[in-house]
Amino acid sequence: MAAEHMVDVEVLTPEGEVWSGEARQVSTRTEVGEIGILANHAPVLAALRPTELRLHVSDSETKTYAQAHGWLQVYGNRARLLLEEAIPPEDLDSGTLKEQLSDAEQRLSECEEGSAEHNRAQKDRDRAQAFLSIAGG
Amino acid sequence: MATQKEVKNRIASVKNINKITRAMEMVAAARLRRAEQRISDMRPYAEGMRKLTRRAAAQAGGIPRVPVLEERENIKRVGIVLVTGDRGLAGAFNSNIIREGMRMAAKVREEGAEPTFAVVGRKGVSALTFRKMDVTDSYVGFTDRPAFANAREIGEALTARYVDEDLDRVELIYNRFVSPLTQHVWRQTLLPLQQAEVIGEGADDEAAAEDEETDAEKAQSRSEWIYEPDPEELLARLIPEYVTISVYRALLESAASELGARMTAMRNAAENAETMIGDLTLEMNRVRQAEITQEILEVVGGAEALG
Repeated sequence: MAAEHMVDVEVLTPEGEVWSGEARQVSTRTEVGEIGILANHAPVLAALRPTELRLHVSDSETKTYAQAHGWLQVYGNRARLLLEEAIPPEDLDSGTLKEQLSDAEQRLSECEEGSAEHNRAQKDRDRAQAFLSIAGG
Repeated sequence: MATQKEVKNRIASVKNINKITRAMEMVAAARLRRAEQRISDMRPYAEGMRKLTRRAAAQAGGIPRVPVLEERENIKRVGIVLVTGDRGLAGAFNSNIIREGMRMAAKVREEGAEPTFAVVGRKGVSALTFRKMDVTDSYVGFTDRPAFANAREIGEALTARYVDEDLDRVELIYNRFVSPLTQHVWRQTLLPLQQAEVIGEGADDEAAAEDEETDAEKAQSRSEWIYEPDPEELLARLIPEYVTISVYRALLESAASELGARMTAMRNAAENAETMIGDLTLEMNRVRQAEITQEILEVVGGAEALG
C-alpha cells in the first residue's frame, strides 16, 4: 500500500513494464480532457490520447514520457496505464516523426471521410503530432 | 579414387561448416532466450486489457455490436496473413507456413471466395511472389525482433480493410512456440474477432469480471466509477485493440519459433558435419595407406627389376 498522499502507479506497454512505483500525481490526457490523478482518486476507466505523460514522483522529481494511445484504470489507490507506447522524450526522433506525420496526412487526404482507413490515418496523425511537440520542446 | 590432398581439403571445409553451424546454433539459442522473455513481457499488458474490458462490459451490460465482431454471411474476399521469417536456414519453419497458406487459399477458392495475402517476412514474400499469388501487403525486416509498432501497423491495416468491407474474413497462420524443439503451425481466424478472444475463456460471468473487488465494494462502487468516454464507447474502441494484440502475439511466437527451429536445424547440421568428418578421416587414412602400399610395391618392383 502506498504511503499517504501517494498513489501506486504502473505504466505498462505490450513490450514490458515502463515504470512502476509511487507517485504524488499522475498527469495525462483522456478522450475528454486533461486529468490529474492524486491519492485516493475515485475509480476511473478512460481512453487516453497521445500526450506528455507526467509522473510526479516527488517535489523535485518528475518523470515524463511520450504517451501514445492507451487506457487508464484507477481503482483502490492504484493507477494502471496501459499504453501502446511510452517513450522517454530524449529517445524521440523528430526526423522519423515528421515523416510519419506527412505520411499520415497524405493518407488522410486520400481516403474517404468516415471510413475505418480514415480513422486509422487520423489516429496516426494525432500520435505523430503529439510526439513531435514533445520532441520539439 | 580421391587423392590424399583432395580428402584433406574436404575435411577442412566440413570442419568450417561444423564451426559455422555451431556458432549459428549458439546465436539462435541466445536470441531465443530474449524472444521468450518478450512473450512473457507482454502478458501483464494483455491481462490488464482483459480486466479493463470486463470492467467496461460489466457496466455496459454486455459486449456491444461492433463491426469487428460481426460475422458476414456473404464471403467474397478472404485475407490470409502468413507469418514467416526474413531468413532461412531454419528447417521447415518457413515452408510449413507457406504450404498451409496454399492449402488455405485452395479451400477459400473452393468456397467461391477470392484469397488475398498479407505476408510477414522476406521468405514468405519471395515464395508467394514466385508462385504469382496476390500479395496485397508485405511486411519485412523485423521478424527476429518484432516491435508492437509492427503489430499495430499490420493489425490496424487489416481491421480497417475488414470494417471498410474490402475483406470479409481474415485468417492468420503462424508458427506457435511450444518449446525450443517444437513449433506447431497454427491457424486462427483474426476477423471477425472471436468473443472468447476478448473476454477470455470461461470468464463469462461477473465473478470473474470483478476480480479486483470484493462483493461489498462492488455494490457500492458501481455508481462511483468515472468513465471517459462512456462504457459503450470505450468498448467500441477497446475491442479492435485485440486484433493488434493477437497479431503481436503471433509475431512474438513466430520469432521464438524461428529461433528454436534454427537452433535445432543448426544443431543437426553440426552433428552431421561431425559424422562426415569422421567418415572422411577414415577415408583419408585409407587413401594414405593405399598410397604407401603403392609406393612400396613400386620400390619392390623396381628393386626386383634391377636385381
